[in-house]
Amino acid sequence: MLRLIGRRLLLMVPTLILASLLIFALAEVLPGDVGRSILGPYATQEQVQLLNEKLGADRPLVVRYASWAGNFVTGDWGESALQKVPVRPLVLKAFGNSLILAGFALVLIVPTSIVLGMFSGLRRDSVLDRTITVSTLSMTVIPEFVSGVVLLYVFAVWLKWLPVSALPPDGSNFLDRLYYLILPAIPLMFLELGYISRMARVGTVQVLSMPYIRTAVLKGVPRSRVIFGHVLRNAMVPTVTVIGSQVGWLIGGLVVVETLFVYPGVGKLMVDAAKTHDVPVLEASVLMVAIVYMLANLVADIIVALLNPRIRMGG
Amino acid sequence: MSDEPRSPLGPGPDLQTEGMELGADPEMLELQADAATTGEDHELSAESRKQQETKADAAAALEQKRQRRYLIKALLRSPTFMIGLVVVLFWVFMAAFSMYLTQSPTAQNASASLQGPSAAHWFGTDDLGRDVFARTMAGARSVLIIAPLATVLALLWGGIIGLIAGFYRGVTDEIIMRGIDVLLALPIIITSILILSLLGKGTAIIIIAIGALFTPVVSRTVRAAVIGEREREYVMAARLRGERSGFVMAREILPNITQPIIVEGTIRLGYAVFTAATLSFLGFGLAPPSPDWGLTIANERIFLQIAPWTVLFPAAALASLVVGVNLITDGLGRVFSR
Repeated sequence: MLRLIGRRLLLMVPTLILASLLIFALAEVLPGDVGRSILGPYATQEQVQLLNEKLGADRPLVVRYASWAGNFVTGDWGESALQKVPVRPLVLKAFGNSLILAGFALVLIVPTSIVLGMFSGLRRDSVLDRTITVSTLSMTVIPEFVSGVVLLYVFAVWLKWLPVSALPPDGSNFLDRLYYLILPAIPLMFLELGYISRMARVGTVQVLSMPYIRTAVLKGVPRSRVIFGHVLRNAMVPTVTVIGSQVGWLIGGLVVVETLFVYPGVGKLMVDAAKTHDVPVLEASVLMVAIVYMLANLVADIIVALLNPRIRMGG
Repeated sequence: MSDEPRSPLGPGPDLQTEGMELGADPEMLELQADAATTGEDHELSAESRKQQETKADAAAALEQKRQRRYLIKALLRSPTFMIGLVVVLFWVFMAAFSMYLTQSPTAQNASASLQGPSAAHWFGTDDLGRDVFARTMAGARSVLIIAPLATVLALLWGGIIGLIAGFYRGVTDEIIMRGIDVLLALPIIITSILILSLLGKGTAIIIIAIGALFTPVVSRTVRAAVIGEREREYVMAARLRGERSGFVMAREILPNITQPIIVEGTIRLGYAVFTAATLSFLGFGLAPPSPDWGLTIANERIFLQIAPWTVLFPAAALASLVVGVNLITDGLGRVFSR
């Protein structure tokens, strides 16, 4: 097991280097003249030259990449080109905000999809099953900003049950914060619901066909105990294993939901930095997300390995 | 030539006797003997073989046609597929012809801004007094240009890469697959934001970016399908005939993996609509005054409280298109897997 984790961690290094090269290439090589893209078309060539020298953009690419990557590792993430503040606290604070939103969404996703998947698995091929399957799949394929505006309209504008804003007034406690995050978290939940509840359904259907369930039912074990004792646990296994593989979607969803709800997370930071060509912020936030994305995939693989001995031994 | 149905694809009736193998086919032996004798004979046998091949081709074509007709019938009977098809065709029609049917989607009228739905404006008007019905119908256009073209690009690139990787296997396969996996080192939406913010906007760049980012997944599917086919007898036969690799890939393997490619194509189409709309919403797609749905929702959402129709109608339109495409995918998948 440890060997598997070690091997995967080692494999992460080249992938991470490649990802950072990709980010670096997209951010610094493709736009051509860095100074020109910051100063715009009306600056003189001398001004551009001067800025390039100051930023070190006139150095060879390899040197620039090495110094950028080296600085990132040692914690010097540079200064925002636009806001003139250090990048690291900016990105880390936004990252914390995103983590709260994503964590809250996950807390909603897991029980909801397990319950829905279990219900549709228990009543396999019934009207209820079809309804749950079709509606969760529709929720998953509809873009999160579409479900987001509809939810905003219904629950915040029309029914007035929930606040329009995603941020509570200053000085609110943690629970208040979560209350304000209910509306942004639901589109994120929708995004994952179709796939994960389908997994829970498959797990339920599979365990129901097992001989030991039949034995339990024939022995006269109450239905509720069969469900909570056997079915639930088995519905959870495939569910937990796929959650990790959905992190990419969750990150994409965060970018959109944070933009829609004007929530100061890393997704919104990234979009704003991309729009304003704030390259240091863009690079740092994307690289940060890349690292988290890879770590999440690693954790997902480890969970799968823990639950499935064949992979564990083979690794 | 006798009318005996004997083809290289399957043994004729006289070969079905027990213990007979293809290699023991008396005619095959004859052909081989012929080939070994004079040039005249050789030519003759080549000609007869050609005739046999045409016959076999005709039989195979007939069989294919029958199968295709059966698939189409099954699709027509699938409610999910038909509902999806109707919805998507409605939007395709609107994308192509809405400019002849509705008011102008861009004509502004400052005196009639943010009006609710009425007989004159079925879906109301937006902040600039533009007709929301006209804009909602015309909004199908951009997404239905970008998403299908991006999907076609992804299928083309992914198809070629998948065919090559799956056909050659080994080191070629390793290098190609690891290489394109780099594109997936980041979530797709983030890579496309990077590309679009730095390469500039524009329909062509969006199409190419989405196409490129969907290529790895398509090539994985195609590669898996090719690996499933490459050890089959017909591929071996083609290789033994001395056909070039390109021919074997394009004319032998490709026609046999069209079903998974079609299903993959419709899945990607759904995601492409999703991604294109999302990029517009984030501000990396088209520019105003385009009636694009994602862009409209992004720009009008500040009026959600006072004029919800400006946002909700484009939102419903986009939702119906995405669900429609996915219903088609679902129906196709069910019929093909039968």
